[in-house]
Amino acid sequence: MVDLLTTLAIIFIVAGPFLLVANKFELPTVPLLIVAGLVAGVFIEEGLTLELARYGIALLVFSFGVGVQFDTVRTVLLDSEIATLGQILIVGSLGIGSGLAFGIPLQESIYLGIAAALSSTIVGTSLLQKEIRRNLVRGRLAQSIQFVQDLIALVLLLILSAETFAMDPIATQIGYGLMLLTGAVFVNRYVFDLLGRLAGGSSELMIIGAVSLLVLFMSAAEAIGVSIVVGAFAAGLAVRHDQDRYMGLYNGIESIKDFFVAIFFVTIGALVAVPTVEKVLLASGLVLLTAIAKPIVTTAILIYQGYEARSATLTSLSIDQVSEFALIIAIKALILGFLTQSVFDAIILAAAVTMITSSLSQRYDEQIYRALADRGLIVGRHGKIDAWSNCTDDVTDHVIIVGYGRQGQQLVETCEAIGQRYVVIENDPVLRDTVRLECEEFVFGDAMEKYTWKKANPTAAQLVISTVPIEPLSRRILNLASGTDTILSADTVDSAFDLLDEGALYVTVTDLLAGEQLVQYVQALIHGDLTPEALRDEQQRFLENQPEDIVPTS
Amino acid sequence: MDLTADLAIILLSAAVMGFVAKQTRQPTIVGYIVAGVLIGPAVLGIVEVSELTETLSELGLAFLLFLLGIKMRLDEVQHVLAPVVKISGPQMALVALAGGGIALSLGFTSMEALIIALAVMYSSTAVVIKMLTDKDEATSLHGKIDVGILLVQDVVVVILLAVMAAGRPESLAEVGTTLAIVLTLVAIISAAALAASRYALPPLFRRIADNKQVFFLIAISWAFLFVLISKEINVLLAPLGIEAYLSIEMGAFLAGLAIAQLPYSKELKDRINPLTDLFVMVFFVTVALDLEASALLFHWQEAVITALVLMPLKFLIFFALINWQKFDLETTFLGSINMIQVSEFGIILGVAAFAGDFVGQEVLGYLTLLALITMAVSVYFIEYNHALYTRLGPYLKRWETETTFEGGKKEYQNHAIVIGYDAVTRNILPLLAERYEDIVVVDRRVDHIQTLTEEGYTALYGDFRNATIRKDAAIKRAAFVISSSVELDVNSALLRETSDEAIVFVEATKIDDARTLYDRGAHCVIMSTRLAGDRLSSYLKVYLEDADTFRQIAKTDVELLQSPDPLPAMHKKMVGGLDG
Repeated sequence: MVDLLTTLAIIFIVAGPFLLVANKFELPTVPLLIVAGLVAGVFIEEGLTLELARYGIALLVFSFGVGVQFDTVRTVLLDSEIATLGQILIVGSLGIGSGLAFGIPLQESIYLGIAAALSSTIVGTSLLQKEIRRNLVRGRLAQSIQFVQDLIALVLLLILSAETFAMDPIATQIGYGLMLLTGAVFVNRYVFDLLGRLAGGSSELMIIGAVSLLVLFMSAAEAIGVSIVVGAFAAGLAVRHDQDRYMGLYNGIESIKDFFVAIFFVTIGALVAVPTVEKVLLASGLVLLTAIAKPIVTTAILIYQGYEARSATLTSLSIDQVSEFALIIAIKALILGFLTQSVFDAIILAAAVTMITSSLSQRYDEQIYRALADRGLIVGRHGKIDAWSNCTDDVTDHVIIVGYGRQGQQLVETCEAIGQRYVVIENDPVLRDTVRLECEEFVFGDAMEKYTWKKANPTAAQLVISTVPIEPLSRRILNLASGTDTILSADTVDSAFDLLDEGALYVTVTDLLAGEQLVQYVQALIHGDLTPEALRDEQQRFLENQPEDIVPTS
Repeated sequence: MDLTADLAIILLSAAVMGFVAKQTRQPTIVGYIVAGVLIGPAVLGIVEVSELTETLSELGLAFLLFLLGIKMRLDEVQHVLAPVVKISGPQMALVALAGGGIALSLGFTSMEALIIALAVMYSSTAVVIKMLTDKDEATSLHGKIDVGILLVQDVVVVILLAVMAAGRPESLAEVGTTLAIVLTLVAIISAAALAASRYALPPLFRRIADNKQVFFLIAISWAFLFVLISKEINVLLAPLGIEAYLSIEMGAFLAGLAIAQLPYSKELKDRINPLTDLFVMVFFVTVALDLEASALLFHWQEAVITALVLMPLKFLIFFALINWQKFDLETTFLGSINMIQVSEFGIILGVAAFAGDFVGQEVLGYLTLLALITMAVSVYFIEYNHALYTRLGPYLKRWETETTFEGGKKEYQNHAIVIGYDAVTRNILPLLAERYEDIVVVDRRVDHIQTLTEEGYTALYGDFRNATIRKDAAIKRAAFVISSSVELDVNSALLRETSDEAIVFVEATKIDDARTLYDRGAHCVIMSTRLAGDRLSSYLKVYLEDADTFRQIAKTDVELLQSPDPLPAMHKKMVGGLDG
């Protein structure tokens, strides 16, 4: 009989090479940890690690709670609740339907539906870091869809812990859940800072204090008969705080989480029994649903909601995987005996596969979209672009401004000050009202789309000026507006040179500009031409006259 | 899905007692041990040791030693290495003699006295390093001497633990054989670890260092590889007919040592630390879980007497030996006063000795109590070490020697810190070099660190979120700090720690963030989108006034950009062209 320490050692040693593979091919770590589990399952007894895996689950949900930003929740709910709910309903039903078609009883098919409908935050958002940082529509959208899904997953877990599907117990469960959340808000407001003061700056104590809170909330959840996962979420909300004040705490939680979560995913892989034909078929069905049907449904809903085709497609291509929450739900159902081994195995296998395919579909999203659009498979709604835009058909001698962020606004002001005619191109729905109010002429559509440019009429324009430093977009602009002078933006000097070679008149590199200004200030400070206080005053004065950010930032 | 109540109780009681300890200025370790005594059979008896808690506490030890291994940068302690080695040998022998003598005179048997002698000769890594770090004295000269001695002691502990893991020897010859086998195995594994750290690990870690999560998990995987080998060495060597044991701590330590020599060890230290804190906590709580009150308090009078006699003796031994190595008086005093407690390794050794049937449970209780008392008392001495020196220094003047050691590694003072090496910060490095003697660049990319080092800057690999990195960069003493991170929490943490006189430049993407940062004391918040907006507007104006002039300027600018000249000079020219 192998002891727990040896089991843990085997888990991590087996995981090592798989992690290297993940790193080498820039894949998310989760699916490879699951695959490592398939291998490690040969050597270990999962029963031993289940306990630690539970802490993995708890910490996963806990840190989700810690990371919740209520400011963004508001804009998020506006953005994507309908899309998310619609997608969950449709894909979920498809999942349940195909389960039934396979001859699986309804009670188990529901879990297939859940697995197909929910997408992974860990995989999705880690793939989308760049888009989220740049505040692109699709980054924000995918992130918010996943956020809503995670909340729904928590509610599902609550319902599941009623261990029945009757209404009364479910209502009780939700009531208890709300009680826990209220407790969490109380702790967050009144107890947490006290702990911080008592810890006297010791990260060690804060970490142990936070983990104790986690355990307390989980025990409370257990005592009132609610899923401990909900307790973990509440605990996360309870220790949510200014990251900068308790940096040591949050770094520490991340380390501890990474450790236990790795155990969780490997264990879940190890729980999978030897695949049978039936399991593989079932898993393939789930993969098809998740990797193909889900993006199609999501794209359709988003387009219907008014997002244009490209953003909708690219968003959908980053949420086409099975969620880690679905795995938690599945493992819980397995333990409760609601789920048979073969359905469970199919869900786990499908999760591993779709997490990998999803990172591929995300990597080649632009190509996939182009290929589909060129074959006419995705139809944007030109009618919407026409309806939302305000641009004379025969506009001439104008300047086309791509992007109405801070820079775009400044350019519009410049044009208006000297009486220059301009057309703004923007596609972020959040900016639609602002653009309508502030700009004389604008096309509300994706700058990657031909039709958008047709409306903006670049051949008759004096100049195209883009504020968006995304290379594929810049290329597209050079292509669609060829023959017209073009000033572009780029992230790196190398990318700027490429674009210059390809015909741009001029390319600004934002970081280079920041570097230049910095050099000027530092020089002035070092040579004594400017005092730090004077610089500070000057900068602050400037800031006072700046408009607020319009785009909700997440 | 129910939890193990035991672990929950351990965590909660440790947290409560930890906070109590903090408030009463005791080391947290003392709080944990007390928590263990309270919930264990000695008082309440509500928790028993289970496989889970036992494994976690084993992991705690393994991680503590792994972490210690990671900290063992040979280049950082090199200049005090010779005196430290010279001090620690006689120091351990003398303290062991003193401890053994005290034990014998208190009526312990000779075997017990031997174990006690071996257990009391170390000072507590956890207490000393924790206190030194809290007081920011770990890199001072006396700090380095203490850390060096502690490391030598730790190596001895590890070897002793391995000997004991082989069980109670029947004859002296058997001890000799065990020692020989252990030393050979240790030598082989050390050689393998160091070979790996020279040949296999650098390319491996260079590849993964940019991926925070993979980096961390691979390091843990590496540690577990050594842990597993050490744990199963008997099974591995059985076919060869050799019976051998190694402690998992030894394996973990060597795994850490291999990583320590890589440039990325600092970052890793901060990632492993929280896990270690957590597991070591479980270890300390569970130490007393096995102890009945009767065992813990069986020799309480002896423990108190030993503590009272041993602490002054330890101080005197350290003082004489450090003084002998010709360190200045203050260093000698501080270096000695810090080291008067009995180490947690004493307890670990006691546990091993009890498990190996060398001594009874009462001796383990005695050692635990002794460590507990001396740690708690010594914390006050370390806390007020400088005040004590001011008070006592004049009486010690007669031992003043001609000092041969200078204040150790240079401490940064009034230096410049650059966080993040990118297009924004790259060009100001030469400018800063004109004004500031030292420039420390912090970055998380391996290739950047390489470039910077080649260009002759001090480059620190790591995430500025980590306390160790901030401390190493000596942010509190910096005169100029620039951060190219746009994350509000990083920049806020930075502003919290910089001194009021320091000039601070930070970056932000949102107006709100910029306002917050000014409120918190930033001198300049760079907003690159705003700058780009300004620049694009001026381009637009020039273009609309006269497109041909613009084309001309654009052409010269691009040519300048392509020229390999150092950037700042060229940029002055570029700016001149368009802003006019």
